[in-house]
Amino acid sequence: MTTEMTAQKDVVEIDLDDSDEVRLIDSGKNPTRYARGWHCLGLAKTFRDGKPHSIEVFGTKIVVWADTKGKLNALDAFCRHMGGDLSQGLVKGDEISCPFHDWRWGGDGKCKAVPYAQRVPMRARTARWETMEQNGLFFIWNDPQGNPPPADITIPEIPGYGTDQWSEWTWNTFVVKGSNCREIVDNVVDMAHFFYVHYQMPQFFKNIFEGHVAAQHMRSTGREDIKTGVQFDLPDSETISDAAYYGPSFMLDTVYTVAGDTTVETKLVNCHYPISPDSFVLQFGTSVKTVDGVTPEKAAEMAALFTEGVETQFKQDVAIWKHKTRIENPLLTAEDGPVYQLRRWYEQFYVDVEDITEDMVARFEFEVDTTKALESWAVEVQDNIEKAASAAE
Amino acid sequence: MQPIDCHECGTAVLVEKFSVPHTSVQWLSDSASACPRISQANANGEGGLCGTTGLSCSSLRSTIDEAVRQGRIEIGGRVEPVIGQLG
Repeated sequence: MTTEMTAQKDVVEIDLDDSDEVRLIDSGKNPTRYARGWHCLGLAKTFRDGKPHSIEVFGTKIVVWADTKGKLNALDAFCRHMGGDLSQGLVKGDEISCPFHDWRWGGDGKCKAVPYAQRVPMRARTARWETMEQNGLFFIWNDPQGNPPPADITIPEIPGYGTDQWSEWTWNTFVVKGSNCREIVDNVVDMAHFFYVHYQMPQFFKNIFEGHVAAQHMRSTGREDIKTGVQFDLPDSETISDAAYYGPSFMLDTVYTVAGDTTVETKLVNCHYPISPDSFVLQFGTSVKTVDGVTPEKAAEMAALFTEGVETQFKQDVAIWKHKTRIENPLLTAEDGPVYQLRRWYEQFYVDVEDITEDMVARFEFEVDTTKALESWAVEVQDNIEKAASAAE
Repeated sequence: MQPIDCHECGTAVLVEKFSVPHTSVQWLSDSASACPRISQANANGEGGLCGTTGLSCSSLRSTIDEAVRQGRIEIGGRVEPVIGQLG
């Protein structure tokens, strides 16, 4: 027997298309722990109305209030005395008072006074969350291991925020039930959904993951057959979007909308916090830069228009999540983004710090080939325009 | 993924190509210290809000493009990563 013949005999030809085997979906299980990291709970100013605010987050309920210096505090809502709900109580001086027996709790988690008792009992300390404000937004730090936030894990400051350079944040909130928050994080790498769900045509799409940051760089145009406010009604506009997740739940996106000589700069926040393993609060906010001949009034008007467009888009995401299944083993084409690598990055927030592996945090870059997608979409868009024109006749 | 060294600084990375426009790069070392361009950009505070995570190295890019032209990096089908391993 010749070597050549042996080699031939050893070749097992597998025609994948000929296989009758059905691919099964592994729907996995939602995680039972909550991600380590800064979570935005909304606009800081909404918590400064002198009242306690009740927030369902991380499978529990917390109370947020402002003390006399304006510092925002976050404590577990359930009073360690008899389990009263502090978020239904009153702010008294710097403390939150329980509506059940008026126990007073400080932002440091300690019981400061029990007015009807001689003294506060031993171990009168409750769970508290580290808080932070950045760019007018309020954040709490979650860590199942109880460690404080490392100094280098933070949310970047927007240059000029707080001056009249930026319009006030618009702020929208959706409660998403029946889905784990990983669904929204998956969108970071999902090039093709931008066409179908967000009515964008990504010309260029690249992800870079590094450390606790997951970036998405996209250049896109709007769809000619379906327009939304994110194009600001600017004809033939191009969108340059540089977005990044800073930790597991907070994305900040710098969007330049370019149309001829006009460039509009918008900051878009897309963030969420988990209520339970299968529900979360999705929030987004936009602010438009007022420089370059854009007046503050015009910027606010533009932010409202952009927000309307983003709201339409997010509603479509929510409709998808409401009906889809969790899937651990997505079946991908060469034109899909790096879903598996993104989830590997995301996993770092769900393991103990000492269990973070190199593959979760090492820099990884992925540039998607959009050639075939753009060819196919151009035909589809043209077809839709023609159909709409003939239907209008 | 296939190993490649940047022709400018010698930094070793893993690369994968599904097509000529597609590129995927797995870094094996800290980019801000291994790559002089990223290191310099980092020192200059370039890259906007997400810093050098927003930037790519043009030398590495041209190294990969050249290797593809010369057939040293093959264009292949999609293979998903093994979790727990770099690549």
